[in-house]
Amino acid sequence: MHIMEGFLPVEHAFGWTIASTPFVAYGIYAVKKRIRDNPEQRMLLGVAAAFTFVLSALKLPSVTGSCSHPTGTGLGAILFGPAAMAPIGMVVLLFQALLLAHGGLTTLGANTFSMAIVGPFAAAALFGLARRLKLSFAVSVFIAASMADLLTYVTTSAQLAWAFPDPEGGFVASFAKFAGIFAITQIPLAISEGLLTVVIFNALKRFNARELQDMNLLSRTEVRV
Amino acid sequence: MLIEQSAYANRWRQVAPAAKGLFALGGFIAAFAARAPIAAIAVALLIATTTLVGAGIPFGRYLRVATPALFFLGISCLSLAFSLNLNSDTQALSFHLTPTGMQQVAEVSARSLGALSALLFLVLTTPLIDLIAMLRRLKTPEALLEIMVLSYRMLFVFSEAVHDTLTAQSARLGYATSRLALRSLGDLAANLTLQVWQRAHALHVAAQSRNNDGPLRFLEPVFTNKRRDVAFATAGGSVLVLLAVVLS
Repeated sequence: MHIMEGFLPVEHAFGWTIASTPFVAYGIYAVKKRIRDNPEQRMLLGVAAAFTFVLSALKLPSVTGSCSHPTGTGLGAILFGPAAMAPIGMVVLLFQALLLAHGGLTTLGANTFSMAIVGPFAAAALFGLARRLKLSFAVSVFIAASMADLLTYVTTSAQLAWAFPDPEGGFVASFAKFAGIFAITQIPLAISEGLLTVVIFNALKRFNARELQDMNLLSRTEVRV
Repeated sequence: MLIEQSAYANRWRQVAPAAKGLFALGGFIAAFAARAPIAAIAVALLIATTTLVGAGIPFGRYLRVATPALFFLGISCLSLAFSLNLNSDTQALSFHLTPTGMQQVAEVSARSLGALSALLFLVLTTPLIDLIAMLRRLKTPEALLEIMVLSYRMLFVFSEAVHDTLTAQSARLGYATSRLALRSLGDLAANLTLQVWQRAHALHVAAQSRNNDGPLRFLEPVFTNKRRDVAFATAGGSVLVLLAVVLS
């Protein structure tokens, strides 16, 4: 779910752009450093952005029967790392605005913050935590992917509530309204995306366990050769 | 992608992207500068008419492209219009329409429609590759531009891979039930995930074999009437801003 073009007041649009800039800049810096060590990875970001864009265009069978699209933030954060997801996510959101009129240019900063910063960082942190708590690989992936989705939607609701507080109930009432109305589509989507990401990683684990182990996503004992 | 088709096949394809960008910028400024909803609506109507009549975009396609954004606007306005109130005595939640809420709905939806029409004007008349060239001239960081250029090209490669895989899976009843659909989609995405590394590596090898170790450069199209176009666009953009200010 992206905030549409022109929906946020001008000071919020600018504010979120300024808030997102350091994360995107750090992401580019981190990626440049990685490319210096592994020059063969220099095409990776562009290809990963295209992959995320195409993935977000897939139709996901939703629990409630309606069709929705995965965000790919959880999957991307686990595969490419949360820092790299900030520039990748920003380009994907820009392309969605320019090629699909989904989201917008003035709301790019706010959408980047919720979808390319909060979601991926939450996913990476939760995945790391779940692995440290010795939860199984599938459960860790499910928690990371579905919570990345949920937190993205909670952040968007908070952004909208901050911009448009309820005249009587203030921020809290407004947040409850936005979160409540979007929950109808977003909670089933989070569950479906969590399941889908587990299926993706199961397929990767079955056929490409070595690659996952190289990325430090799987432990040695989990790889069956 | 409907927007891509229009961007390459509209009457203003040969108009300089800088001019179209300037006009859209005028539209954004006008939408945000409009104090009264009627002013923002007038701006939106003027830009939409310019897009439909001037650039020759079919009305049906315009509506189809705008639908997802309008859907978002509809449900967001619904939540703006109603006020949520917790009665402290009875502990009961109540919803009711408020005049402030209605005023806010009018302002926000008018502004959003104004800005949306400006965005649609830009994207329906200008191909993404021209927009990226424009961003390059505006001194966007090279690292971001490189992601955009590569990802724009790879997008179609991946789309085709997805299309072919979906066809093959559907032919084998891969999407017959929702359980099967989830499994098929998972296999499809896993297969695509692997291609990310394979294709990135292949691109790197291809670039290296041509002695490329820096930014990817492309020939940019030449727009012969750039000055005239920019002058027209500046005038048009100014009219939009003036209209917003006068009607407010």
